[in-house]
Amino acid sequence: MANAVMGYKQSSFPTKLAAISGIALLIFIILPFVFGDFQLSLMSKLLLFGSLGISLDLVWGFTGILSFAHGVFFTLGGYASAYYLKLNLSAASNTYGGELPDFMVWNGLETLPWFIAPLKYFPIALVATVAVPALFAYILGYFIFRSKVSGVYITIITLAISSALTTFFVSQQAYTGGTNGITDVSKLSFLGSPIPPIGLYFLILAFTVFVLALSWWLTQSNLGLILRSINENEKRIAFLGYDVAQFKIFIWTLSAALAGMAGGLFVPLNQFISPVYLAVAFGTQVVIWVAIGGRGTLVGPLLAAILLGQVQNYAEKVTQDWQLVIGILLLVVVLFIPNGLMSLLPKQLSLANLSKPKLLKTPDAVKN
Amino acid sequence: MEAVLSVRDTKMDGKMESVLSIKDLNVVFSGFKALSGVSLDVYDGEIVTIIGPNGAGKSTLLDAIVSKSPVFSGHIYYQGKDITNNSPHDIARMGIGRKFQNPNVYNELSVFDNILLALKGTHGIWASITAKLTKEKKGKIFDVLSRTGLVDQAFELVSSLSHGQKQWVEIAMVLAQDPSIVLLDEPTAGMTADETYMTGEIIKSISKSHSVVVIEHDMEFVKQIAERIVVLHQGQVLAEGSVEEVQSNPKVIEVYLGHETIKATA
Repeated sequence: MANAVMGYKQSSFPTKLAAISGIALLIFIILPFVFGDFQLSLMSKLLLFGSLGISLDLVWGFTGILSFAHGVFFTLGGYASAYYLKLNLSAASNTYGGELPDFMVWNGLETLPWFIAPLKYFPIALVATVAVPALFAYILGYFIFRSKVSGVYITIITLAISSALTTFFVSQQAYTGGTNGITDVSKLSFLGSPIPPIGLYFLILAFTVFVLALSWWLTQSNLGLILRSINENEKRIAFLGYDVAQFKIFIWTLSAALAGMAGGLFVPLNQFISPVYLAVAFGTQVVIWVAIGGRGTLVGPLLAAILLGQVQNYAEKVTQDWQLVIGILLLVVVLFIPNGLMSLLPKQLSLANLSKPKLLKTPDAVKN
Repeated sequence: MEAVLSVRDTKMDGKMESVLSIKDLNVVFSGFKALSGVSLDVYDGEIVTIIGPNGAGKSTLLDAIVSKSPVFSGHIYYQGKDITNNSPHDIARMGIGRKFQNPNVYNELSVFDNILLALKGTHGIWASITAKLTKEKKGKIFDVLSRTGLVDQAFELVSSLSHGQKQWVEIAMVLAQDPSIVLLDEPTAGMTADETYMTGEIIKSISKSHSVVVIEHDMEFVKQIAERIVVLHQGQVLAEGSVEEVQSNPKVIEVYLGHETIKATA
């Protein structure tokens, strides 16, 4: 037989799933024309949060590294983007005129710090939204994974990083805008004219598809197999010749880069960034999206972020105690659906299942 | 048996290079000497069986070779190169494969994927992303699966297999690594008599193209496969030789073969 091992095609994308993905994408393309302004901006935000969840799924769901620092990577990208938008305010719309952002004037700075000034230029800012969180994650990951810190200790380190950076950003008011963060930024422009909300939505939708596709492509390859093996028993795989630390540093850094990109897109939408997104509370939210959606499912965290965001939106309207509603929902999922919402769907609908082999029990087909 | 001994004698004369050479090895766990002054040579294509009472340091010796346990002093040479305390993945890539005492396999993956992971080749990140499942790879995987009798289970999850089959999956993984030296830690633990016998035959066939070091308790099994036996006791080499030599060694009889289980088989 031409296909020596029947039915074992590593990266086949079943037609059924292709159809469902196509329909889902079509819905997301049509939705903005049905939505009002509020829903349009909410859905844009939830797509970014979902992308952030997917990035965490790569390190937690697949590789088994529970991180509360993904909010930090997101926010570092966000600040890079916020400096760009702030520095590109026209002199007229800047509170004090001139080039210097308002919060720097309040805090007595007279010139733009050298490390912030280059962010005025779009290509530099674009690279920074990815490179700053990625470099930060790489250095952090290098020390964590090369020193063989593992399990819960990594999680504790990520919590500490999140708290430390929150405090640091609040304390450096002259450079970061302190607790308020960076507000009153300019709109993101394309060819001299500001991008309308619907344009931003499609930009974010394209980014989400990119994150999902990239993550799927990576996890259906042998890399996905190796990451899952690290998750199940990282000691064993070293004796097969794999440098476990190298793989962890890679996926950790890549994941931070994706989180940073999401943060970079978040600021043009949200029009501000602040240390709130550095804090543990936001990092925990990312963990919750992955837990509720289903670890190692990729689509799950995206679905959970959208679903929880919408529930919160409606709960807020009905009751002041909307956090209680979210809390109860979380309890129900953790207690009764430990593998997340995706485990309720037929297996074929999960992107992650594609990276698992088709379990054939037909040796005849195999022997040919 | 004489033929085996004469082969061994030529090896001892130094006419053959040893593949693995352990010199005066000491491994210490917080003050406790797990291995003290162990020296051992493994030659091309031979089966070395290590026996010894519990706590004799058998697994520790294999751990030290693959750098799972740090070496305190002494040296391990592989093909003439000092590999003492190198990183586990480097040692694995050089050509030393290890099977652990309890089957150390990936339960949530299929048998096929377990072997795919172990397959000899590049272990880099980019290589793993772009790797294609070529015909050669499939062929190689099914080759080791047929050698270990697992072809029919190829696409089943390892978690659904019996204990004995899991042991074979791990042996198959070691084979897929295509190492020059295969280190097997109690490969027949938890196996039925039939499975044990089959494992013995698998090991014999492996030794045609690889050097094999086996840790074993079951004396029947040792007799089936053994060429040269090394007896470890309290972290030291107590005796070395053929099954008969070891069984008639007074020191061995005193500390190890004196046990009733061994008497029965002696």
